[in-house]
Amino acid sequence: MGNVKHIATAAVGLIGIGAMVCAPSLIWMLPAALMAAAALAVLGWSAHNAQHTAEQTLDGVQQSVDALNEQLDRARTQLGDTNLKLQLVQRSKSNTEAILKSIRDAVLVADQQDRIIMANEAAQRLFGFRFDPTALPSLATLSDAAAFVPLMQKSRTGRIAHVRHEVTLPRDGQPAVFDAVLSYVQDDTANTGAVVAVLHDVTREKEIAQMKNDFVSHVSHELKTPLASINAYAEMLVDGEAQDEDTLKQFCTIIQSQAQRLTRLIDDILNISRIESGLIKVSKDQHSMALIVRDAVEMIKSYAQEKNITVTAPAAILYDQVVIDRDMLSQVVINLLSNAVKYTPAGGAIAIASELNEADNCITVTISDTGVGIPPDDVEHVFDKFYRVEANNKMAKGTGLGLNLVKQIVETVHGGRVFVTSTIGKGSTFGFELPLAAENVKC
Amino acid sequence: MTQRRALVVDDEFHIVQVVAIKLRNNGFEVTTAENGDIAYRLACELNPDIVITDYQMPVLSGIELIEKLRQNPATESTPVVMLTARNFSVEDDQKQTLRISACLSKPFSPREVLQTVEDVLNQNATV
Repeated sequence: MGNVKHIATAAVGLIGIGAMVCAPSLIWMLPAALMAAAALAVLGWSAHNAQHTAEQTLDGVQQSVDALNEQLDRARTQLGDTNLKLQLVQRSKSNTEAILKSIRDAVLVADQQDRIIMANEAAQRLFGFRFDPTALPSLATLSDAAAFVPLMQKSRTGRIAHVRHEVTLPRDGQPAVFDAVLSYVQDDTANTGAVVAVLHDVTREKEIAQMKNDFVSHVSHELKTPLASINAYAEMLVDGEAQDEDTLKQFCTIIQSQAQRLTRLIDDILNISRIESGLIKVSKDQHSMALIVRDAVEMIKSYAQEKNITVTAPAAILYDQVVIDRDMLSQVVINLLSNAVKYTPAGGAIAIASELNEADNCITVTISDTGVGIPPDDVEHVFDKFYRVEANNKMAKGTGLGLNLVKQIVETVHGGRVFVTSTIGKGSTFGFELPLAAENVKC
Repeated sequence: MTQRRALVVDDEFHIVQVVAIKLRNNGFEVTTAENGDIAYRLACELNPDIVITDYQMPVLSGIELIEKLRQNPATESTPVVMLTARNFSVEDDQKQTLRISACLSKPFSPREVLQTVEDVLNQNATV
């Protein structure tokens, strides 16, 4: 009876294991073993016969148990493999989710009923909703997506494999341009599908392309203006329209001055372009800022005298040494001074001041004029490339590059700062700040 | 034969000068103005045979000048040639409404300006 008890216990144990591993092929064998064991107990055969029969039965049971163990081992191995595969699939799913979550492009998937079945963080931010996989919101509930939803629906109804659209959607309250790639993914087994949308923000690229176009347009326009004069006056010379010596000289002078204007323009464009691309050769040495200002004033003096404008410069400041490219900084001061003369009516005044700020280890140079001033809306743009103050166009001709070059030289090349303040009808103050040469401050 | 009178209007000194010299050397009496406002007053005063004006000008633009000329009986039929910058164009209906005889795009050749002025005046004489 003890053996029977053991077998029954083993069989019950096996049923448990069989149930656990969900191996139906094993279970059908177990009732036979149980029935044999039960029969032994109930019938009470004679000892000899019973012993012989029991041994035969036990052998059979043993064989069945061995077979069960083999199948159990195989099932365990299969289960291990399945678990491994499951882990790999889960890991792959986690990786995919992590990638989708981290990419900056918005990714959104909608099913055949226009329900959103997946949306990464960027898509949720863009369309202003929290994705809940148990709720599956409709595409129609997306806010400010009127330009986008019909495209998704069109991809779905047309079952279009891949299509690209340029869509404008609000982002942080501003219109942003997206390159949207929509792909219809077909599920042949279920005769259904989903639309996957990937939206890449191309607003900045668009702006840069527009800036490039504007730049080329500005440059060609600015280059054509002096070229047009050169061409017209050269044609006049060819046609013999200069009928006396003075007119001939005048035509030649205009051609020369326009050619010089063209050269300056090309130089300015090239210098700005080289500074922006970091290709300009910079030769920095220690110089006195006061001496650079003094030399610039000398150069501009005759131009100022023509308009009866007085220019006052400060006395040299001790220890005003700066590490600069002398030619470039001279151009900064000359550009600011010539602008001041240009936009100051006859009889006005220009004052140059410089101040040391030892706490910040820098020097500030300001050029103030009694000129026409700059309208408030224009002030923040005066250092922009090709920007010209419309209201002051009549005062002087210009390319809109001079102040941009000043900014590039001071800020990009020398790590300084430019600034401007202005009052209409009273005048403007342009200035820049440069770090002082460290050694000299200590002297 | 009376000398033909032209009024040349542009805020760009070199343009005014080159057109004026070209026309003077070819028998025109030329008056110049640097903006539309001055040009309108001169047109009323001198009643020129033709006005050659820039499109973009301070104070009073070329279009505004022509509108004023067309409203004044003394200048309503004065032929006008317009000089336009490269990126500006005058719409056809605006050209018809304001009766702009011809448009020339900058940069232009002085020969081309002279030829256009001659053609416009000849057409007007025929009409």
